[in-house]
Amino acid sequence: MRFMVRRLALFAAALVGLSLLVFVVLRVLPGDVAAVMAGTNATPERIVSLRAQMGLDRSYAAQYLDWADGLFHGDLGTSAIGGKSVASQVGTRAGVTFPLIVLSLLIALAIGLPLGCAAVLTRNERLRGVFHVVAIVGGAVPALWSGLLLILLFARGVGLFGVFPSQGFPADGWSNPGQALMALVLPALATGLTAGAGLMRYTRAALGEAASNSAVDMAMACGMTRVQALLRVGLRLALPQLVSVFGLMFAQMITGVMVIESLFALPGLGAMLVTDVGNRDLLAVQSELFLLAAFFLLLGLLVDLAHRVLDPRFKTARSREVG
Amino acid sequence: MATLRVTLRVILRSMWRRAGGRYSLIVLGLWVLVSLVSLVWTPYSLLATDGFHVWSKPSAAHPLGTDGVGADVLSWLMAGSRTNLIIAALSVIVAAAFGLLLVAAMVSRHGALSAVSVVLVDALISVPTVLVALILCVPFGASAAVIVAACGFAYGLNLARILRPSAMLAARSAYVQSALHSGMPAARVFLTHIVPNTLPVLVVQLSMSAGTSILAEAGLTYLGIGVGAGVPSWGHSLATSVKFVGIYPLTVLWPGLVVTAVVVALNLLGDALRDAADPLANPALRGGQDER
Repeated sequence: MRFMVRRLALFAAALVGLSLLVFVVLRVLPGDVAAVMAGTNATPERIVSLRAQMGLDRSYAAQYLDWADGLFHGDLGTSAIGGKSVASQVGTRAGVTFPLIVLSLLIALAIGLPLGCAAVLTRNERLRGVFHVVAIVGGAVPALWSGLLLILLFARGVGLFGVFPSQGFPADGWSNPGQALMALVLPALATGLTAGAGLMRYTRAALGEAASNSAVDMAMACGMTRVQALLRVGLRLALPQLVSVFGLMFAQMITGVMVIESLFALPGLGAMLVTDVGNRDLLAVQSELFLLAAFFLLLGLLVDLAHRVLDPRFKTARSREVG
Repeated sequence: MATLRVTLRVILRSMWRRAGGRYSLIVLGLWVLVSLVSLVWTPYSLLATDGFHVWSKPSAAHPLGTDGVGADVLSWLMAGSRTNLIIAALSVIVAAAFGLLLVAAMVSRHGALSAVSVVLVDALISVPTVLVALILCVPFGASAAVIVAACGFAYGLNLARILRPSAMLAARSAYVQSALHSGMPAARVFLTHIVPNTLPVLVVQLSMSAGTSILAEAGLTYLGIGVGAGVPSWGHSLATSVKFVGIYPLTVLWPGLVVTAVVVALNLLGDALRDAADPLANPALRGGQDER
């Protein structure tokens, strides 16, 4: 309980720190955003008026408080270029990115967990070698490349087997779920396969470590077969570690997800962020970066909490350390 | 000095004996070699374009074909290998320096400093590399330095979190305590007694970070927040061939193969190095009986 309170307080503090960090980095570091936005041959008056329009001529403290106040009330500001509200843009685009991430993670789980377990369970040395190679090579493929190979294999028009649409997302979004899902299959495979290979490696390591735990020996002494003992006792021992890894993997995956969104022309969050950064759309970028980073902090919090719940050994270790 | 050379030879020989170690030594050796060669010679100049032979298939004149402006794909890949070598090396150095600094703070005897650094690492570790790169990209624009800074930051945090348990264990040990009590400066104790204890994990983690930095370069450059336009890199080669993948699928094969081969080698290098350089795991290092 005390841990929960402390972790939540830390989360809140980290959010404030993060907002300050994003704000300060975007303001203090060199480069005049207004000058960049106005273009290379803008008059000085134009730049000054643009600064005033964006509120950049006010003091940093006033700008920050204004922004933070908006964030607190759910107002993320408006994009300086499109004039659209950042909140609504993020909302519609999250409808593409989050299903894509969830689908990729499911694929990664479906591949990584069974294969990682199989690599520990098998006693065939050669098969183990094959699993090792699959995990190492699978994790080394750039997301961009695996996406391209998938397009070459399965996309309509260019691929060998034209099954899935090669690019884009239905304009009417999720009103036609089948079509929307079809558009996400190849992108999700591209990121999911790589992440699956990573997960496979971690599963192999964690389960392999758990296999030498005396609890597994005990289970076998009580009459379980080696496979049963590993899957029921060993996997349970490895679970907290795997949950932590899964959370971190999520953060690592986001680079791949952005690349894949751009490759498959999906109107997701990554594509939006890259465009806005390219346009130096300061007000939109700071809210978007903050939102994304906050999301990952939240994820870290959830992983930490899950880790605690799943690993009762932590409680005793903690109380011993404190007491 | 002589013993160091002998040790190095034993380590390299032990690595060579295993398939994974041999593969990684060969590929990484080639990588360094090609990078050096590309400084003085590439089959064609990077700026040489041949408008009559765009997207040509592999031939005697162009072993890997040409790209959309008729530039030689092999030359660009060769020149790209040095960019990636520099990015990977610098990322690893930055990550190691930043990570070890954080570890030093985490195991320090100042309660407040260690508490704050532990909290900081836990909070920041879930922020992805690409986000750091995007933040840095707004004021500085896209460049290799942004990739190095973002990778070094993210991998340094990762390193600190992974090294913490072994560093903690060493910090509480009797030999560290006695070194401190005998008046050795804390910084020296850290470097001579604590860091060596983390080496097996450190080596594996750093070589994997080098591999990840290559993947990150490819992704970031494709997104337009990596190395600048016109700078040769594997990510650049991959990104330029993407647009025409439907028409000229072959050109996209080469940079992807190169990246995958090198990242595999880096992932294997760490494991091989750890197994070969750890006196506990490698009997050849104990007593030096097979060197005379």
